[in-house]
Amino acid sequence: MGEAAADPLTPRTMPRGRTPAIVGLGMTEMGKVYDRTAAEFAADAVRLAVADAGLSLEDVDGLLTSAGVGGGVGLGLARDLGLRDLAVLSEMQSYGSTAGQMVQYASLAVASGMAGTIACVFADAPLRQGTSTGAAYGSRGAVGWRGVLGASGIADTTSMYALAARRHMDTYGTTQDQLGHIAVGQRAWAGMNPRAQFRDPLTLEQYHASRWITEPFHLLDCCLVSNGGIAVVVTSAERAGSLARPPVHVHGWGQAHPGRSLLRHENFGLVSGAARSGPAALAMAGLSVSDVDVVELYDCYTFTVLITLEDYGFCPKGEGGRFVADGTLGPDGKLKVNTGGGQLSSYYLWGMTPLSEAVLQARGEAGERQVADHDVVLVSGNGGVLDHHSTLVLSPHAPGRA
Amino acid sequence: MVGKVARDAATAEFFDGTARGELLLRRCHDGHLSSPYATACETCAAADLTATPAKGGGTVVSHAAAHRRDGTTLPLVIVELDEGPWWWSCVVGAEPHEVTTGARVRLHHERADGGSEAVPVFRLVAA
Ligand SMILES: [Zn+2]
Repeated sequence: MGEAAADPLTPRTMPRGRTPAIVGLGMTEMGKVYDRTAAEFAADAVRLAVADAGLSLEDVDGLLTSAGVGGGVGLGLARDLGLRDLAVLSEMQSYGSTAGQMVQYASLAVASGMAGTIACVFADAPLRQGTSTGAAYGSRGAVGWRGVLGASGIADTTSMYALAARRHMDTYGTTQDQLGHIAVGQRAWAGMNPRAQFRDPLTLEQYHASRWITEPFHLLDCCLVSNGGIAVVVTSAERAGSLARPPVHVHGWGQAHPGRSLLRHENFGLVSGAARSGPAALAMAGLSVSDVDVVELYDCYTFTVLITLEDYGFCPKGEGGRFVADGTLGPDGKLKVNTGGGQLSSYYLWGMTPLSEAVLQARGEAGERQVADHDVVLVSGNGGVLDHHSTLVLSPHAPGRA
Repeated sequence: MVGKVARDAATAEFFDGTARGELLLRRCHDGHLSSPYATACETCAAADLTATPAKGGGTVVSHAAAHRRDGTTLPLVIVELDEGPWWWSCVVGAEPHEVTTGARVRLHHERADGGSEAVPVFRLVAA
């Protein structure tokens, strides 16, 4: 750990004081659910998470909110829930890395005594009845810098990730088949998740036959779009012991925001913020990748899983393709990755997708898909086009006993 | 082939450039060249930048093929201009399978019908 601790971005130890734990998880109905606004999904998710913990809303003294593309989730949620005299309240935005970051800031607030019980929530309702999934994430007006990119044909996030993925393929020999193994492996997990939107088994042949969106991405390389809300409740490990659910202790965390400049020698598509965030989080927990039992990764695209596995150090840089195609993924695989089916097959609620599955696995509440060894669960968040990264190290055991 | 785009305050000088057939890079006092949209030098963070046109040659860093609703397929590229900065756009006058990483391209400008600003695109240079 000495080498990692010398890095100024690497937090060295858990903050002094109370250690944080996730004690509540609330998940609304998700998918093509049209009867609620994003704000209503958010309020429902917080109520569910608080009830799950065996707490009541009067126990909550902190609220962190995160809105998706549709907006509508913010400071007003405190009023919608009737929360009074909050010690912590803020809207947060780092795109797909926000959920993990909310848990980090809640953990810092708990550790310092700034607040005692903090709800962190994401909700979005981009789907409208009778409108296509693509339209839900469609491009806005063609003005200025974003407009010139769109006018040049690079009109969506999928195109930008496709350019990232192709660079990795051309540099390291990563293949289409290898990306397909990620989609196939996660679908096998989704088959055991009652909340998954896509549960039918998937073959590599079906993957290759699915229509192109932007090459090298087939439809089945891309996440789905969901309406819904998910919240977690963070409090102190001390308090967690007397609550309704097994606590999920927060052992380590990290963030990385590379701040890419688009110039010669830029490593876009080759290395992401995960390369700094992951080792920082594991070092804080006093663990290494070989200690990790369950890996819940942000998977907006198959490629995001591949680059994150490399950057976290599960395989050497450039070997992610061979790694995922070599019997690593899926319920029978060597590494338990995206055990709920992820954003590719199950539900897309930004960073709450990997986080919610991580909490279920750490608690031992994942039903048919429960992983037997779940002492250390690693969770990633990824925002922008590989611009923002967050990592959490979770465990059912209190720090020092993982 | 390209879509419509309107200028705003941040892109007014850039689109004055594309109207002349120029892609304006940003140069600091030390001579570092940054992307057209840089507001601080991407090498030394200097805030005082002046516009300087790219010479127009570049190399494909990565590529993709967008399958569009009208059934056409558009080759997308990240190009490293010979000066160093990258520019993201499409290749016109070529099929996606003809566009490869490392291919040489030349800057070109196109304008959508109906009064849009001109947009920088690329053409393949015969090897
Ligand atoms: Zn400079």
